[in-house]
Amino acid sequence: MGKKRKHSEAEVTAPVKKDEGAPQRPKRTLLGWKDKVEEKESDSTAFRNKEKVLVTCSRRINYRYRHLMMNVVSLLPHCKKDNKVESKESKGATLNELVELKGCSSCLFFECRKQKDLYLWMAKCPNGPSVKFLVNAVHTMEELKLTGNHLQGSRPLLTFSTNFDKDPHWKLLKEMIMQIFGTPKDQRKSKPYHDHVFVFSIVDDHIWFRNYQISVPHNEADKVDRGGLDKMTLVEVGPRFCLNPIKIFGGSFGGQTLYENPFYVSPNQIRALEKKQKAGKYAKKVKAKKRRKMHEISNPMEPDEFADMWKE
Amino acid sequence: MGILKKELVLSNKDTMNDDVEENPDVEVSESESEDEDVKLTERSKTSVYNRDGLLDKLGDISWPKNVEWRHKLSLDINQEQEVDVNDDLARELAFYTQALEGTRQAFVKFQSMQLPFLRPSDYYAEMVKTDSHMVKVKGRLLAEKRKIEEAEERRKARESKKIAKEVQAQKIKERAKQKKEEIESVKKWRKQRQQNGFEKDGEMGLAFEDGKTFEKSTKKRPGVGPADRSGGKANQGGWKGKKGGADGKKKSRDFKDSKFGFGGRKGLKKQNTAETTNDTRNFNKGNFSENKKRKR
Repeated sequence: MGKKRKHSEAEVTAPVKKDEGAPQRPKRTLLGWKDKVEEKESDSTAFRNKEKVLVTCSRRINYRYRHLMMNVVSLLPHCKKDNKVESKESKGATLNELVELKGCSSCLFFECRKQKDLYLWMAKCPNGPSVKFLVNAVHTMEELKLTGNHLQGSRPLLTFSTNFDKDPHWKLLKEMIMQIFGTPKDQRKSKPYHDHVFVFSIVDDHIWFRNYQISVPHNEADKVDRGGLDKMTLVEVGPRFCLNPIKIFGGSFGGQTLYENPFYVSPNQIRALEKKQKAGKYAKKVKAKKRRKMHEISNPMEPDEFADMWKE
Repeated sequence: MGILKKELVLSNKDTMNDDVEENPDVEVSESESEDEDVKLTERSKTSVYNRDGLLDKLGDISWPKNVEWRHKLSLDINQEQEVDVNDDLARELAFYTQALEGTRQAFVKFQSMQLPFLRPSDYYAEMVKTDSHMVKVKGRLLAEKRKIEEAEERRKARESKKIAKEVQAQKIKERAKQKKEEIESVKKWRKQRQQNGFEKDGEMGLAFEDGKTFEKSTKKRPGVGPADRSGGKANQGGWKGKKGGADGKKKSRDFKDSKFGFGGRKGLKKQNTAETTNDTRNFNKGNFSENKKRKR
């Protein structure tokens, strides 16, 4: 009891003491004493990229697509991986809430339907635009033919082909890709040095993605020798995929459709078409037989002279 | 959202490779009849393209204009020619050149900004692929290399075998030919002699083919002196622990070789010839200032 009283007394008196005369102590930090006067003003108005990406997938996702998602997670140090989401009912609202909860500013949602088709949603979260892509031609990093390797979390160089500046929808996609796939500077988990490069290029109205490791003979970290740039080689590292934009929405995971791809044919329709082509086989055969019969009846064959030559 | 009227058409380039599943871009129309599909080339789709909306949103999300390049790290590379999607090699090459161009430009920028951008060789950190995975990759590459090399070696061996066989056959033929010729020439000489009635005995009318007279074989007999009857074994010192029994067979072969090899030993037939004048191998090589008269 006595002790308690002393403690409370000390508490009461402590603040009073501090306000008196003596100049305040400099703030003590781990690295030493820091004077209060000194303040860092340089970054307060500068631009800071605080991008955070939430990466999730739907349930019943294929193994290949799951590995692709894991690869993407390892490529982006500014991402947060979350659990699988149920794909039924108003997935737009659920996902928006999830993103909000995690404090992220954009989202990459891998949606797999029928365990065959992968759709990728790329959305800027509070009220930004969102895009739905169909993903083709997936090769993951685990393939032994892709032999390169790079630092995990190093900032990539992003290269875009100039086709991206031709149309507004490509421009919008370019901006979104740059913000989502580019690692923010001074991100906590990012590593220094730039040793890999992403390639986004538009061929045949699809966006192709490649990831290469840069290997250039060098001695110092900030200079390349005269001939070094010519001896630079790129080794392919990372996953490969091809994105086919389907629709661009004004809101996040929904909203007004701003763009629709006129050339897009859904994979279901392709499969239905193929089935239809094969389906008519029997009917066609029957018709052909009937046609032949009619033809034979209408043009009877002449009696063969040698028909009973071999008859006994 | 406009109402979509999609009319599907068989596409010409409906290639379904194992790794590229692409949507046919040309549209297909199905006619009402049950026969083949009719190809339509015009697209009757009405699709949404809200240009202003897109540009609006672009303005919304873009970063401010004066952001340093260091934040964006993006480069625009010009793709000179149109790449055919289905040509895998050309397509990948285009991507590669784009990446290469991009990194070159970026490095030039970095160098001018004097920022470190190349990883030093002693900087070890977590990589995106694990070490065990890289070991597998290495194993696969080595295996491929070995396969190629083995195939090359096998091919070379096969070819060299063929050539060696041919060369061998050639040599045998030549030897047989030479033998035949020599016999023929001897026969001819005899015939000639017979014809000329066995006249001058000493003259050899027919010179030998190579123009030289019979030469003594220059093959040396095993290095023994002229009067050595031991077969050269007396000179061979320094045998350590050679058991007579174990190498008995070899010893006797060697012995026989030295006795009879290359025309055999001279024996004691001709002891004083031009060669043996200075050959003092088997003479006493003792101390010359010794007293020779002392019995040893």
